[in-house]
Amino acid sequence: MYAGEPPLTLPTIVLVEDDPQLRTLTARALQENGYTVRPASSAPEMWLALEQGPVDLVLLDVMLPGTSGIDLCRAIRQKSSVPIIFISAKGSETDRVVGLELGADDYLPKPFGTRELVARVRAVLRRGAGERDTAERPKGEISFDGWTVNLPRRELLSPTGAVVDLTGAEFDLLVTLCDHSGRVISRERLIELSRTRLGDSSDRSIDVLVSRLRRKLSDAGHAAPIVTVRGIGYTLNVPVTRS
Amino acid sequence: MRLKLHRPSGLIGRIFAILLLTILVEFGVSTLLYERASQFSVRDDEARRLAEHLVIARKLLAEQPQARRPGLAMELTTSRYEVRWMPVLPPGLQTQPELDRIYAQVMLWEPALATTDLRLRLTSQGRHALIVGAVSLPDSSWLYFRTREQVHQADLGPSRILLALAPALALILISGVLVRRMLLPMRRLAEAADRFGTGGIQDVAEEGPKELRRVIGAFNRMQARIQRLIADRTQALAAVGHDMRTPLARLRLRADAISDPDVHAAVETDITEMEAMISSLLAFLGGEGDKETPTRVDLAVLCATIADDNADHGRDVEYDGPDHFEHVVRPLMLKRALNNLVDNAVHYAGQCCIRLVPVSGAVAIRVEDHGPGIPEEDLQRVMQPFVRLDDARSRDTVGFGLGLSIVASAAEAEGGAFRLANREGGGLCAEILLPCDVATA
Repeated sequence: MYAGEPPLTLPTIVLVEDDPQLRTLTARALQENGYTVRPASSAPEMWLALEQGPVDLVLLDVMLPGTSGIDLCRAIRQKSSVPIIFISAKGSETDRVVGLELGADDYLPKPFGTRELVARVRAVLRRGAGERDTAERPKGEISFDGWTVNLPRRELLSPTGAVVDLTGAEFDLLVTLCDHSGRVISRERLIELSRTRLGDSSDRSIDVLVSRLRRKLSDAGHAAPIVTVRGIGYTLNVPVTRS
Repeated sequence: MRLKLHRPSGLIGRIFAILLLTILVEFGVSTLLYERASQFSVRDDEARRLAEHLVIARKLLAEQPQARRPGLAMELTTSRYEVRWMPVLPPGLQTQPELDRIYAQVMLWEPALATTDLRLRLTSQGRHALIVGAVSLPDSSWLYFRTREQVHQADLGPSRILLALAPALALILISGVLVRRMLLPMRRLAEAADRFGTGGIQDVAEEGPKELRRVIGAFNRMQARIQRLIADRTQALAAVGHDMRTPLARLRLRADAISDPDVHAAVETDITEMEAMISSLLAFLGGEGDKETPTRVDLAVLCATIADDNADHGRDVEYDGPDHFEHVVRPLMLKRALNNLVDNAVHYAGQCCIRLVPVSGAVAIRVEDHGPGIPEEDLQRVMQPFVRLDDARSRDTVGFGLGLSIVASAAEAEGGAFRLANREGGGLCAEILLPCDVATA
């Protein structure tokens, strides 16, 4: 019932970064935005920091000397479900996908600024809070009408198995429609949801997004299963299964 | 042949062996041909005329004393036969090939000649084959004769010419095949050298003569060395690229402390530009370490989404084409390539349209704009890495000039092609042509 509301205590973040100056700068940026930071420069220090008390989030640089960030992420996951954000200097898509599939919650490429850092942390913490309360948000796949939405990879697969590329906003809209399948979701609610999407500076309307999504989800003479409810909003009118 | 021959291993040894073989064959064949001269025959009437002439001439000469014999021989010389008397056997008759068949023909007509030690030989004068010969007289002197006209051989003609040509042709053929076989590894080496740099490296099998094996071995080692060198450099550059992102991240966080919004924005732009340069360099070098696997994607939606993403950020980019078109590609590489083309078009023309056009056996993705285009003479040059058309002082573009090189290598990776052309009526058309087989269409 507290879903979406900020927690009462200051969130604590464990920051694992081997570059001393970047560690200091990142810690300061987070502290200035109201977070408690426990810095660590290596894997052993991280384990110590995690034992010092409850932790709300781990910010993990994957390129630590001597340890693979991927392995470290897996090790944390085995012990705890604390949200993890990957920091990586590699723009590598494989790293990103592997990290997200291993259970990291988000990915932050270097070089990042204060605004992006805080936005991601905030988004992951909010999602984490919601998850703990409702324990509902799945990590895997959503299927409807032959289509498959892979949540960690943020990927949509067509009935024939081809990857169907969507913009970030379109993907979020689709996930929201899937989350509310069978129910009508109002335009106002969709606008509100799309505003909270981080880094979103675009100015297109929900109607444009819906019409694009319909076109991309159409299937050889078979219209997309997104129905307009006049004067109210939209609904996905096919059964949705999760795995 | 039960004898096991050691094949000579060196180039020189092999050429010697080939020469030796051809000489042996030549020798054998010509000996055979010489032998065959004894099988030549003449027409029956000629053999008969020769036999009669010899019998008469011998008889007349034998009746005369030796002193008168040369004169008589002159008289016996006709338009057909030249006759001479000689006290001893002329030396030339020992060496010419014998004519067994003609001898038998003559004997058939005049068996009396059997006691005269008749010798018949074939000689050639210019292009004519002539018969020379001798018979002994009772007092052991000799009657020497030669035909003055070409004898009409029964089997003279194309077959004999062919017979003479055959060994030569065979020799040319044999030595050609052998030399070709010997140099075959050389050709493979040349092909491998041509292939180098266009894909994975492949060792050439070390075969053939010793010298060639050494060259091939050296080539293989050189190939591996170059590959390692490139890999090391790429890795080093990639590491530098990655490492630069950490100080860049520090700089960006520090820049957030700048209170003057203009200065902050300017610093932010610089950082963005540096990051873009690092990214493009890493993409060009393949330094991100991603070997993307080809994936089945909806190419039409991919293009549409690039246009949508750009449109969402306030740029005038449209998509024109079918709603769906599935194809197997490396999507990240292709997206980066298309984004480079769109960025270029938006920078120089302010707008563009991404068109997906299925053509026969391929699909074309065209990024078309209404901008100034590129001078015809620069169309090829601009695809080279680090080439930029705006000169350094008036430069207002971001990056190293790697954008189009990245597009070209992305197209190449798909087995396709990248082409730039000025459009009729102004503007540039950048086309990525991807092959598709019937199965994926």
